[in-house]
Amino acid sequence: MELNGEQLIAAPIPDVWKGLNDIDVLAKSIPGCEEISRISPEEIHAKVMFKIGPVRARFAGKLLLSDVIPDQSCSMAFEGSGGAAGFAKGRSRVELKLVDGGTLISYTTEASIGGKLGQIGGRLISASAKKIADDFFQRFAKELGGEVLPLESDAQAE
Amino acid sequence: MKSAAFDYAKPKALSEALALLAEAGEDARLIAGGQTLLATLNLRLSEPSVLIDISHLDELKGISVIGEQLRIGALVTHTEIEDSKLIAQHAPLLKAAVPHIAHRAIRNLGTWGGSLAYGDPAAEWPACSLALNATMLIAGPAGERRISAQDFFIDLYTTSLEPDEILVATEFPIASSNQVFYFHELARRHGDYAVAGLALVANKVGNVLSNCTFTFFSVGATPVMATKAQALIDGKPLNEDLIASAVAAARAEIDAIADITNSAETKRHLIGVLLERGLKHLIA
Repeated sequence: MELNGEQLIAAPIPDVWKGLNDIDVLAKSIPGCEEISRISPEEIHAKVMFKIGPVRARFAGKLLLSDVIPDQSCSMAFEGSGGAAGFAKGRSRVELKLVDGGTLISYTTEASIGGKLGQIGGRLISASAKKIADDFFQRFAKELGGEVLPLESDAQAE
Repeated sequence: MKSAAFDYAKPKALSEALALLAEAGEDARLIAGGQTLLATLNLRLSEPSVLIDISHLDELKGISVIGEQLRIGALVTHTEIEDSKLIAQHAPLLKAAVPHIAHRAIRNLGTWGGSLAYGDPAAEWPACSLALNATMLIAGPAGERRISAQDFFIDLYTTSLEPDEILVATEFPIASSNQVFYFHELARRHGDYAVAGLALVANKVGNVLSNCTFTFFSVGATPVMATKAQALIDGKPLNEDLIASAVAAARAEIDAIADITNSAETKRHLIGVLLERGLKHLIA
């Protein structure tokens, strides 16, 4: 599955960058986040309760950051396991750009989903991923005291 | 696989069910027909602490006509809708849609309210309730509230129902004598989830359609109306050119989302195919 999108947030780049690297902000922004801890500057562990439609599964996962250029971009690899429900792993790249009105966050994500979640949730996995991403940015913008501004082209999941 | 252990309660009155729900909070799930819930429990995609069985609540049962409104209780099964004379007479769109819902064994147990409250974007009833301008009757700790289908479906599997609320019934205007409709869905096999579907309702006088609703499902996160295409058709004599422009408008205005086997482009194409077939069916 691929999920690519852009979000325009009404906040300056340094604030957005700081927010994306602040686990307290992330804890409040990630829908269903129950626990989050930074193991090292490059590694974050989290427990997240996913609630979408039929699925209510608790995922334990880790996130590894790489190619970090402050205020510009970073890459991350993630993997999570939801016990009987299944697992997810993938890579994502995030870039920040200064635009009129705030900061444009562009992201590209490639993920694979396995186990029961892949079989049952597969039909709507793209729509689910897009909903989680949209929820995340809404909450994230609120944490920064800004808002998500509408863009002409919305996130497209394939 | 079998489900994780859970508690089970079977209240006899709506007030009792609401009290149980308020007490158990988000860890409780309501069960009616169980045609989706039991499968997800057995696969352990969800492990609620308690199931509240609402199948004995009389307030949620039955199909009736009240004045100019048709009321369908949340516990009415798909089969009851299929076999109901009131539905055939006053909501022929539902009669046409019901054979598309899975298979008879599932229709015998699955319920109208369960399908609406679950809000699967590929399901027939959310789309039909939107097409027929239905009002949802919802009971909660603060009493009953009413909300239109348009405001009820918010996002993927997300409705305006709060965790402590129960969908009781829906009401919608009974079909007028000049109501016409078309229901079709494209699926790989009968009973599968639709790749794309259309519920079309309008009033027809001569070859002019008015009060059109073109509701597409299984193309986005919720059922969605093609409001620009509706406005193009509304009040004008229906002909091939008008149909072609409405088809183009519907394809342009709906933001289709891909699923695991079908791209957004495929869905957009099928939106046009369905609308063209539907409109041509109405002038044939």
